[in-house]
Amino acid sequence: MFGSTKKPAPQQQNAEKQQTLLTLTILTIAAILSFATRLFSVLRFESVIHEFDPYFNYRTTKYLAEQGFYSFHNWFDDRAWYPLGRIIGGTIYPGLMVTSTVLYHLCWLLNITIDIRNVCVFLAPLFSSFTTIITYLLTKEVKNSGAGLVAAAFVSIVPGYISRSVAGSYDNEGIAIFCMLLTYYTWIKAVKTGTIYWGTLSALAYFYMVSSWGGYVFLINLIPLHVLTLMITGRFSHRIYVAYSTLYCVGTILSMQISFVGFQPVQSSEHMLALGVFGLCQILAFVDYVRSKLSKSDFETLYNFITYSVGMITVTVGSVLMISGKISPWTGRFYSLLDPSYAKNHIPIIASVSEHQPTSWSSFYFDLQILVFLFPAGLYFCFKQLTDENIFMILYGVTSIYFAGVMVRLMLVLSPIMCILSGITVSHLLMKFMKDIDTTKQQEHKKYKKSDANASFQSEVSTAFVAVVTILLISYTFHCTWVTSEAYSSPSIVLSARSHDGGKIIFDDFREAYYWLKMNTPEDARIMSWWDYGYQITAMANRTILVDNNTWNNTHISRVGQAMASTEEKAYEIMKELDVDYVLVIFGGLTGYSSDDINKFLWMVRIGGSTDRGAHIKEWDYYSPSGEFRVDKDGSPTLLNCLMYKMCYYRFGQVYTEGGRPPGYDRVRGAEIGNKDFELDVLEEAYTTEHWLVRIYKVKDLPNRGV
Amino acid sequence: MIILNTFLLLLATAFAAEEVNTYLIFKNVDRSIDLTSQLVKITSTITLENAGKDAIKNFLVVDEPKANGKVAYRGVKDSAKQDLNLLPVQVEGNDQKKYHKVILRQNLEPGRTATVVLEEILARALEPYPSSIAQKEKQLVRYFGNHYMYSPYTVAKQKTEVVLSLRSVENYTKLKPVTQSDNVITYGPYTDVKPYTEDQLIVHYENNAPFLTVTNLHRLIEVSHWGNIAIEEEIEIKHTGAKLKGPFSRYDYQRDTVNSQHSIKSYVTVLPATAHSIYYRDSNGNISTSAVKHRKDWIELELRPRFPLFGGWQSSYTLGYSVPSYQYLYRTAEGQNVLTMRFIDHVFDDMYVEDVTTSIVLPVGVSDVKLVTPYQVERLRDDVKYKYLDNMGRQVLRLRRKDLVEHHIQDFEITYSWQPQLLLHEPLMLSLALFIVFLAVIVWVRLDFSLGVPEHSKKE
Repeated sequence: MFGSTKKPAPQQQNAEKQQTLLTLTILTIAAILSFATRLFSVLRFESVIHEFDPYFNYRTTKYLAEQGFYSFHNWFDDRAWYPLGRIIGGTIYPGLMVTSTVLYHLCWLLNITIDIRNVCVFLAPLFSSFTTIITYLLTKEVKNSGAGLVAAAFVSIVPGYISRSVAGSYDNEGIAIFCMLLTYYTWIKAVKTGTIYWGTLSALAYFYMVSSWGGYVFLINLIPLHVLTLMITGRFSHRIYVAYSTLYCVGTILSMQISFVGFQPVQSSEHMLALGVFGLCQILAFVDYVRSKLSKSDFETLYNFITYSVGMITVTVGSVLMISGKISPWTGRFYSLLDPSYAKNHIPIIASVSEHQPTSWSSFYFDLQILVFLFPAGLYFCFKQLTDENIFMILYGVTSIYFAGVMVRLMLVLSPIMCILSGITVSHLLMKFMKDIDTTKQQEHKKYKKSDANASFQSEVSTAFVAVVTILLISYTFHCTWVTSEAYSSPSIVLSARSHDGGKIIFDDFREAYYWLKMNTPEDARIMSWWDYGYQITAMANRTILVDNNTWNNTHISRVGQAMASTEEKAYEIMKELDVDYVLVIFGGLTGYSSDDINKFLWMVRIGGSTDRGAHIKEWDYYSPSGEFRVDKDGSPTLLNCLMYKMCYYRFGQVYTEGGRPPGYDRVRGAEIGNKDFELDVLEEAYTTEHWLVRIYKVKDLPNRGV
Repeated sequence: MIILNTFLLLLATAFAAEEVNTYLIFKNVDRSIDLTSQLVKITSTITLENAGKDAIKNFLVVDEPKANGKVAYRGVKDSAKQDLNLLPVQVEGNDQKKYHKVILRQNLEPGRTATVVLEEILARALEPYPSSIAQKEKQLVRYFGNHYMYSPYTVAKQKTEVVLSLRSVENYTKLKPVTQSDNVITYGPYTDVKPYTEDQLIVHYENNAPFLTVTNLHRLIEVSHWGNIAIEEEIEIKHTGAKLKGPFSRYDYQRDTVNSQHSIKSYVTVLPATAHSIYYRDSNGNISTSAVKHRKDWIELELRPRFPLFGGWQSSYTLGYSVPSYQYLYRTAEGQNVLTMRFIDHVFDDMYVEDVTTSIVLPVGVSDVKLVTPYQVERLRDDVKYKYLDNMGRQVLRLRRKDLVEHHIQDFEITYSWQPQLLLHEPLMLSLALFIVFLAVIVWVRLDFSLGVPEHSKKE
């Protein structure tokens, strides 16, 4: 403006304008696509919250929107974990709720009178649009604008990310991926510029990340790892020093404001790498400074002295803190990250969650398709041109691919870097080969006679290569859309099946049961169920529950597991001890819904038997003599007489489920049940849904004396 | 109308306490008590006779003091089937009783007779007995009434027919002469019954009609001059029959439907023929069990609650639809807008609604709002509602009434003034906002706001 830069020539300016327009158009289309592709379930079913955890998030968001932040922060929830209750404000990452409440109020400020539920349903698609944009920016910083566009297009439809961000899947991960990439982008910026400005921005982005997902631990280990790697490779500079010092100081102080995180950043082992690297940074900077002021021999003496004494002090202080318990040992989830078999051997509750299982090879391909093959090539290109930011990308890629292999859930963290690196690959290759096509064509036009065999051959190879890449990309698009539509777009609260004549049957039993509970049980009724359904019951039925999906108290869950696995008399004692009014079980034997309570039952037995009070419950008692888990006549008598079995199969022995089968044929287990004629002594059937999916029992009162 | 009614009421109570004209006698009364549904419908055909010397302008009807339940509706028609006006009055010496004065269309001259039809609908008059039953049992109810017509006048001759839904009757009072044929019990004729005679009539019989009460109904009508009227009803229903005792067995319920007749599986709601965009949901989302049938003059909506309703069970839902405004909204010659809509609409047959609040959201910027209601309603304080992109707010009229039955499905009328230019208010505002945004972006991109050039970019 003020003549500091030369005005480009008109033609160049025109080309620049065209490029901007093209970039904007592609980016906008990618962002819209990423929003639109996540709407399958809304169009097929309705604008409804999915699964289990989102119901809790929805409930808390509603509370926050209605009651305000202060009472949200101090919210003691007596509807969960009866009789313990739960301090909601102090045990959640509030980022998600705050984000949607802010959006909600913003909309109302502009007189867009949107419902809070719709804000929650469409938040994840909205943030995936933002993710698309931030992926572009990040890739642009690392490589170039072309790679950025390809990466943005990739990330907009990558199934690994869609699995957690379809409309209605209102979970922390939905916004956390955006926060994570935003932090990476600002971090790369900070590393490149070395300014406090970008360092602080990156600390703010980090704060947003901490407030929204527990996965921030990955981030606060990856960035120090990056710094450490730069130190080892001799790339440590003032830029890195400024960037990291700012990020660590500001970020840590900010992250401690989240009450769920509290003092963990300075106490727990998971954060120690960050602290250590921060210390190392100071030492390195100081050493550099001292080196520049002292002679070489003086410096060496000083160096040796300081190294030894600091080392000694660190070890002593560290071990003292560790013994005194100031530095908490690593939590179970973290151990299971490092050693996949840890959970299976030690904590059944972690192992029982399907999303904590190790990833199978097929699901890598299912979730990422061609990215799996393009990713190593992207790594290669990063290695070929080593810069500070490329090192970061390599570290991110390598660590996240390890974690994704350990836990299915972390596929989410892997997906963006897969897209970025694949974007770099595709853009690099296409750029190279497209150029060849262009030049050869020009040559053909201008100097037709001079063109040799080699050039025309080159052109054909290039064309073929571009065609192959195009086909791959098209197949990727089809694959992603297919996966999204088939695998990730069912709300799981409403089930649908195909009838014999091809029509659609809707099983709306969950909401039927929850609504029945809401309308026809006393306001303060306490409902016992396996923890999976806890969040849904509190959110949809508004009743008090014993255990829910926030599995923080192992013994309490174990007690519920014991009740389910015991005989009626034993269970009645436990239920009376826990003040249970109603018991809810999920039973799929009539419809063939396979993730019901009988199939989860072994986990209840394991978890029930994992504590002292449940020592009498042994997993082997529930297997048949031949070592199988079966519900028919050959099943173990312990199983056939336990509370869970009786509640699921009460009066089921008379029902004809399939033509040509005896009554009481369980369609999930494919067997005729072994214990048919029994009555319940301490329970009474209160409600069973239309397709028998949910069965609710009322716990009878103690009999009067002398009767 | 309301003001007029209240004025007349004041007038009636404060100044003119009525007297019972002893010269008027009911020459003949034919009563029919319909007990087939959850409501008690009493239709009395009364022949009035003037035995005095002066012309009679009106006569009185009175609430039975010991009657069970509430009179939800009372209407009188003359022999030409024209509605006669009813006014609540007080009678000297009988302050405890509730009287209504019926104003005749033509004076009844001495010695002449006239025929009127009095229709009364009582809610909550049937008592389930036993009050709780198991899933497989039948629902029995008791009706408490009067063998004679309760009236301030002498009744020369009267006959009563009690109509039941089924033949099976447990028990009924037998004041002779009485006969039962099929599902009809006939009492009378009784002659020369003195005023205010009471003699309890009890019928204990099987009634499997749905005892479904709408405990609360919020009806919201949103008027838009773009051509649409949106209606949303939040409905709370409760099964007020005999309570369910013991367990609910899905197996028994699915195997034989005959034995759980007293439960409510589904019912039919009738909507206007032009209704579209119908939705049926509750706080947990869409309820997928409903079917729409288009008839010639209306739409039948078969609603199934999420779960069958047994005695004492309740549920709630939201039903919404839109109708084009041309049927309900028109302009008078003076440029006024008139909205004519139903105060409540059909929920199910033989419905009884305990409490209704109807809110009418008028368009932005209306003035001179005048309301005419078909019967007396309580007008609550007006509210203001903000809709999409609405910065001025819309006036909301809120009306409330208790105890309604199908006879209350009648139109109210709202007259208001409104400028059609206001229709463009929101689109213009939106365009302006977008224009400002674009302008800001243009200015931002063209101008350099930085104070100096940062050092590291200088190097580049």
